[in-house]
Amino acid sequence: MISDLTTLLFFPGGLSMLLAGMAFTWLDRKLLARLQNRLGPRWFQPLADMVKLLAKEEVVPAGVNRLLFVGLPVVALAGALTAVLYIPLWGLPPAASFPGDLVVTVYLLSLLTLCTGLAGANSGGRFSLLGATRTLTQLFAYEAPFLMALMGPALVAGSWQIALITAGINGRWLLFTQPIGFLVALIGLMGKLEMPPFDAPEAETEIVAGALTEYSGRGLALFYLGRSVEMVLGLTLVAAFYLGGLSNPVAFLLKTLGLLLFIAIVQSLMARLRIDQTVGLWWRYGALLVLLQWLVLWGGRWL
Amino acid sequence: MHTNEHTQKAETFIVPIGPQHPALREPGHFEFTIEGEIVTAASVRLGYAHRGIEKGTESRNWVQNLYMLERICGICSHIHATAYCLGVEQLAGVEAPPRAQAIREMVAELERTHSHLLWLGEAAHEAGFETLFMYAWRDRETVMDILEALTGNRVNYSANLLGGVKYDVTGEQASKIEQGLDYLEERTRHYLDVVTSDPVFIQRTRGIGVMTAVQADRLGVVGPTARASGVVRDVRVEAPYAAYTAFPITPVLAQAGDLEARFVVRLRELFESYGVIRRILANLPPGELVLKRMPRRIKAGEAISRVEAPRGELFYFIRSNGSDTPDRVKVRTPTLCNMASVLTLTVGRHLADVPMILVGIDPCFSCNDRGLVLKRGADHEHWTWDRLRQIGLDYYAGERGSGGVGGTSISPAPLPPCPPALLTGMHV
Repeated sequence: MISDLTTLLFFPGGLSMLLAGMAFTWLDRKLLARLQNRLGPRWFQPLADMVKLLAKEEVVPAGVNRLLFVGLPVVALAGALTAVLYIPLWGLPPAASFPGDLVVTVYLLSLLTLCTGLAGANSGGRFSLLGATRTLTQLFAYEAPFLMALMGPALVAGSWQIALITAGINGRWLLFTQPIGFLVALIGLMGKLEMPPFDAPEAETEIVAGALTEYSGRGLALFYLGRSVEMVLGLTLVAAFYLGGLSNPVAFLLKTLGLLLFIAIVQSLMARLRIDQTVGLWWRYGALLVLLQWLVLWGGRWL
Repeated sequence: MHTNEHTQKAETFIVPIGPQHPALREPGHFEFTIEGEIVTAASVRLGYAHRGIEKGTESRNWVQNLYMLERICGICSHIHATAYCLGVEQLAGVEAPPRAQAIREMVAELERTHSHLLWLGEAAHEAGFETLFMYAWRDRETVMDILEALTGNRVNYSANLLGGVKYDVTGEQASKIEQGLDYLEERTRHYLDVVTSDPVFIQRTRGIGVMTAVQADRLGVVGPTARASGVVRDVRVEAPYAAYTAFPITPVLAQAGDLEARFVVRLRELFESYGVIRRILANLPPGELVLKRMPRRIKAGEAISRVEAPRGELFYFIRSNGSDTPDRVKVRTPTLCNMASVLTLTVGRHLADVPMILVGIDPCFSCNDRGLVLKRGADHEHWTWDRLRQIGLDYYAGERGSGGVGGTSISPAPLPPCPPALLTGMHV
């Protein structure tokens, strides 16, 4: 009982995850800033942002469903924190595991995007509505290729259970045998986190802050935290699947940070894609390339 | 000013951009009717930053006005002062010495460099290309440093005087400018390469906001926006002023007329600027910086002064009644000429292209805002100054309650207070 509570509230879930999320957010912002010839935030900036946002009044716009408005950020963060339990954080075996937990995890990770979309549609503002439309459009664009990319290692290991997949990979670097899957998974993660060049849903020069325009205070803080947690989870998942499965925590952390550096570089290199260009990119190239990867994998089996 | 009313459906979805919006650095109000992501109609309302500068000139003397007009625009301040000085000199029947004219041109070209680099960053930011934004603005610091070394100021250089300029160029400064230009030239070449070869960026610029030469001519666009559509419209070439006869430039043209062409034209213009600055530094005419005597009262008459600001043609009309203050100063900035093209070009495009098309003309709202037309249904009568004043007083009296302003509020509502919704359109 006490050990279960510790798992949920402190490690690997709960508090440690929130701190890790903020640390990763800081590192992402700092790396991006240095690549863009800026100074970037100080190390405690994400924490300071959270403290400030949580302390501020949460303004609920008139005419919205109050329960949804307040509840959606909580669900979004809860979804991300639940997914923590099934993911091999820091290279350690996941805290919980059951057959098929890969699908559940991917679903839980999508909850944040879904909640963001609903929150935007619920807010009623024009920018929120447009942002919500774009968020959900983007969800349909990257989600399938992302899931398909994560299934590549699952095919190799012959299981849908994350613990078994990482065990089945057994130290092999699938990055070299499935480079397309690796790239699609990582870029899909960027789409999920609405990072440039996939930041059309929150393009500030067009629709202010997109779906979250009306959010302030606690709700905004929870959405931000959810996104931070999801960044750690996504990077962990890709590192575990494509960069040699479980290993000692220090080596694993280094691999995760390497991936973070990679996405920071990609973010700094590109202009924002229009939403129709994003959708086109994912379905014209992302999905087809992953399918190609699958065919190669299947073909390889018969050889 | 211009409204395309395609939509009569009740469920039109209008995206308001401005007066406060992250895409705008200055207040302006746009309404874009969209269907899905496609813009079907666009309208603009300007005038939020009307500062009454033209009226203000009438209560200041000729010299004081120089400093006020320079503050019309924070980016192209020098060119405003130049236009004014040239106009006043024309009225007074004098001409600044050749050395002063050359220095005027040099500062103007340095200003163009700073303005175009600033615009490059701004446009990259609208496209979500933050890295280019940061790098362009970092390199812009070089030209800001040059301007500071030359005149002591980064923004309002105050280089002009009636009948000349205030600052000379020393040999030391000249070599510093040369060094800066070398660096900027190398960087500009790199940026030109980026905007014409980066595949993601090209997706956002190539073939977007295409304006044909015919359209450009009909819409009356000016400056780089016109030149990107293949229309030769450059005051520096058509009607050379200052030292542009001695140190000419070649107008930079592009035929495509899309956003990419606007990037290319502005960046290639920088090379022209670097070249002409180098030539001026090498062949700076000797002589005085300023006329020995510039009259304090300017002869009665009218003058028109046109110059090429970084954004396009800047127009000054100056009328003197022979006193030490102008009778009328009228300023038309290039943004006004280009604004109509934004409304035309955004219709039928994606909402995501709108900020790009808007920034493509390099808009400058507060330079542009001169006043408002008060529209009241079919009431087209011309209001006298006294009546306009009374409306203003009543308007603010109504806002502040029954107190009134200086006791001038006589009846509760001789004219109904004018809500902002009635302040439509824009008057030049």
